[in-house]
Amino acid sequence: MRECQIVSRKFHIENACTLRVAKEHGAYNSLVKLKEYDPQHITQIIKESMLRGKGGGGAPAGMKWELMPLDDKKPNFLVVNCDESEPGTFKDRQIISKDPHLLIEGIILTCYAIKAKAAYIYIRGEYKEYQEILQNAIDEAYSAGLLKECDITIHRGAGAYICGEKSALLESMEGKRGHPRLKPKQKEPEWFFGNATLVNNVETIATVPFIVKNGADAYRAYGTEKSPGTLLFAMSGHINRPGVYEAEFGTNMLEYINHYGGGIKNGKKLKALIPGGVSCGVLTAKECEGLTLDYEALRSAGSSLGTGGMIVMDEDTNMLEALKNILEFYHEESCGQCTPCREGSGWSDKIVGRILEGNGTKEDLDKLFELADIMNGKTICVFAPSISTVLVSFISKFRDEFEAVVS
Amino acid sequence: MSQLVKLIIDGQDYEAEQDSLLIQLLIDKEIKVPYFCYHESLGADGNCRMCMVGIEGQKRPQIACDTLIKEGMIVNTKTDTIKQVHTDILELELINHPVDCPTCDQAGECSLQDFYMEYGLHSSKITIEEKVKHNKAIDLGSNVMLDQERCVLCARCTRFTDKITGTHELGIVGRGDEAKVTTMPNRPLSNPYAMNVVDLCPVGALTSKDFRFSQRVWLLESADGVCHGCAKNCSIIIDHNKLKYKDDTIYRFRPRRNDAINGFFICDTGRLSYRELQENRQETPLLDGVKISEDKAIEKAKELILLYKRNTSIIIDANLYTQEIEAIVAFAQEIGADVYAPLDIYRDEAFGDDMLRSSMRAANAQTIINMDINTQKPKKVGLILNFNHPEKFESAATINFLTHTRAETALTLPIATFTESSGSLTNEDGITQFSKKVIHKNIPVPTLIESLKRVSQ
Ligand SMILES: Cc1cc2nc3c(=O)[nH]c(=O)nc-3n(C[C@H](O)[C@H](O)[C@H](O)COP(=O)(O)O)c2cc1C
Ligand code: SF4
Ligand code: SF4
Ligand code: SF4
Ligand code: FES
Repeated sequence: MRECQIVSRKFHIENACTLRVAKEHGAYNSLVKLKEYDPQHITQIIKESMLRGKGGGGAPAGMKWELMPLDDKKPNFLVVNCDESEPGTFKDRQIISKDPHLLIEGIILTCYAIKAKAAYIYIRGEYKEYQEILQNAIDEAYSAGLLKECDITIHRGAGAYICGEKSALLESMEGKRGHPRLKPKQKEPEWFFGNATLVNNVETIATVPFIVKNGADAYRAYGTEKSPGTLLFAMSGHINRPGVYEAEFGTNMLEYINHYGGGIKNGKKLKALIPGGVSCGVLTAKECEGLTLDYEALRSAGSSLGTGGMIVMDEDTNMLEALKNILEFYHEESCGQCTPCREGSGWSDKIVGRILEGNGTKEDLDKLFELADIMNGKTICVFAPSISTVLVSFISKFRDEFEAVVS
Repeated sequence: MSQLVKLIIDGQDYEAEQDSLLIQLLIDKEIKVPYFCYHESLGADGNCRMCMVGIEGQKRPQIACDTLIKEGMIVNTKTDTIKQVHTDILELELINHPVDCPTCDQAGECSLQDFYMEYGLHSSKITIEEKVKHNKAIDLGSNVMLDQERCVLCARCTRFTDKITGTHELGIVGRGDEAKVTTMPNRPLSNPYAMNVVDLCPVGALTSKDFRFSQRVWLLESADGVCHGCAKNCSIIIDHNKLKYKDDTIYRFRPRRNDAINGFFICDTGRLSYRELQENRQETPLLDGVKISEDKAIEKAKELILLYKRNTSIIIDANLYTQEIEAIVAFAQEIGADVYAPLDIYRDEAFGDDMLRSSMRAANAQTIINMDINTQKPKKVGLILNFNHPEKFESAATINFLTHTRAETALTLPIATFTESSGSLTNEDGITQFSKKVIHKNIPVPTLIESLKRVSQ
């Protein structure tokens, strides 16, 4: 398995979060390219690198950057999404706590490319201690005169999962409730107080320095043709060494788990795995065989790569309990704006709760499928369709377990 | 003006402006789709997800309130799939709804009830008995009561205080099925237009403290009217009835849409003005504070008019109908009296605003101005004939024609209020509206014109 250190290179260097140590290890070296390249050129490199957004959706970053108007009198903004609330996902916090200067370097490059004079980092409220490390790094960067061309401000969220959805995030930053906005009718930037805005994930932006410094080909040298580069994949659950380990797209999933995670805890067998945060459909152990970690492979397996944060479940896992746990999360976190999700999230949680208590019926299972259908494709954002995915994948793949407890 | 394009809805041809909202066309053409959150005055919000329609070429059902009309669009609102979606979403809407229609004031004019009938949930899938509990009688301020359990979270009310009045008193707090409408502590709903949220609310979550529990709406009759609260002349609906053994009574005023004048709304002062309209009515003629017969009063009035011929001033209330004012002016010419309509008393700068309310608190002041009637106070004279003007002027003798009682000892003749007579008003922008007699009292009070006729015969 090829070692990859595009984003994680300084993770194991002591005190790499300080400017001095980070600089000793090459931080901010990519900035020399700003003398050489004009903004469009940087965007072009990012486009050629085929860098895909690392916040869960995998949208090509360069195409999003291109949507930013460069000759407008109104200001442009960069917003870095560090809301990181998807259960099973804890990679962005590695970046901001282990190598915050990498993110700042990426922000400087990105702001240059999209002609933004200000960047905001929207950080989840619970990340208080990591926020302090990041703020120290920003302060150091200011003192060192690195932030003359763009300002960086941290905006602390209040702990709502939905505020990670980019338009809800912007609503929240505008001082409103974190409600996702209606989708635009055509391709356009995001809008922050009516100004064109680019929203990217922390890791996406932290990948930019490598690409600008080493070129698009250097990035594409990793990964697969359609999913080039690397991702900070992560593991949690019944695994010997849970954690974040960078790997290239296309890596064999089970090999990754065994190599970095040291296999399943207590020598147990793998039963199921959720590949990239709870919004992705669950996979059976059998489905994981031979599966590679890239967007295309996971899509054809009927799931998705998501954030790459894998949740590993061993043979003793009660799938009903696992499903209940996830539904409780959705029930708690639905923003409540649209009817199918507001009511459907709670209803499905209650039904599964009843099944778990031993009071479920066969009709309840059918009802869950019906609910999954109502929540799918009829809401403002993809939160509700995620619930559908979870419901359908759990119940259809582990139907026996569910049928065993209903009357 | 945008270009007209052709589209097909349920197999029928229609024409509409390109890029206009599909839901508006459906509403205008009375093509039924269920909806809660869209309102023409507030625009689309897309939160209720009820207005789903099928658009050919689109894989999934789309919400009509966020669909722009394009040339050649083919829309289906009645296919089985779409009907199923409507039923499904309505059912979700009802999971946490208390379904307390028998005690709900909205019953009879509730969208949820209507849609329920239309998309009948004959085999409801609702099996969870335990519903999310919320507060049921919260006094939000400004006569508005909130029942959080009945709320469908369409956000019409919050959008009203955000977008229309800009006062931001209402908000939604909490997430998911815990979300609820509320006000912030010590910041009650308080703006001059607050009660419009009661009309906007599609269900019985917001009710008027003034109206609730007073009448079931299906027992009311609705008639068109015009508010007399100020020179704006907002168009209203007068809800009234005449139940057995009772007199014809008004229970509420509601806004009547009129894009030229008030749009969708009216102010709370105007809305509640029906109350004082019915209170303390002058019902019988008086002389020296004592009831007298109508014949006697007319006779007495005639005597006085004859006695003070060429020494009489007539005072006109600027709220009277134009036809009434014209009749008075003609009468004044007959008897050689001067005519005044002093306007100062109606001016109230604190009342006026830049939404609807005019600082001229007289409904027909514009007609007084248009007819060149003297708006100064009358000089001291022998006889004053006061046609309901609120002020009292000095004179040797006075004849009052009044709708409401006053602490007066002069000869007084009762006259009908504006809801008991017909006529037109011209508002401060020059727009004229005619209103018909709505209220038919068991014992009718003569209209001003009838009284005038009798006095001048
Ligand atoms: C419910 C929901 C939660 C999300 N949470 C996050 C998050 O915590 N962090 C993140 O980067 N993106 C999150 N996203 C994705 C963002 O909407 C957005 O696509 C992303 O920030 C774009 O950045 P990228 O293209 O660099 O991935 C979320 C999306 C949804 C629908
Ligand atoms: S789908 Fe759920 S989370 Fe998304 S906007 Fe609707 S209610 Fe909010
Ligand atoms: S109170 Fe009425 S208007 Fe306000 S959100 Fe609830 S249902 Fe809508
Ligand atoms: S603005 Fe004037 S006319 Fe309109 S409702 Fe209020 S008082 Fe009546
Ligand atoms: S009216 Fe269209 S979503 Fe509510």
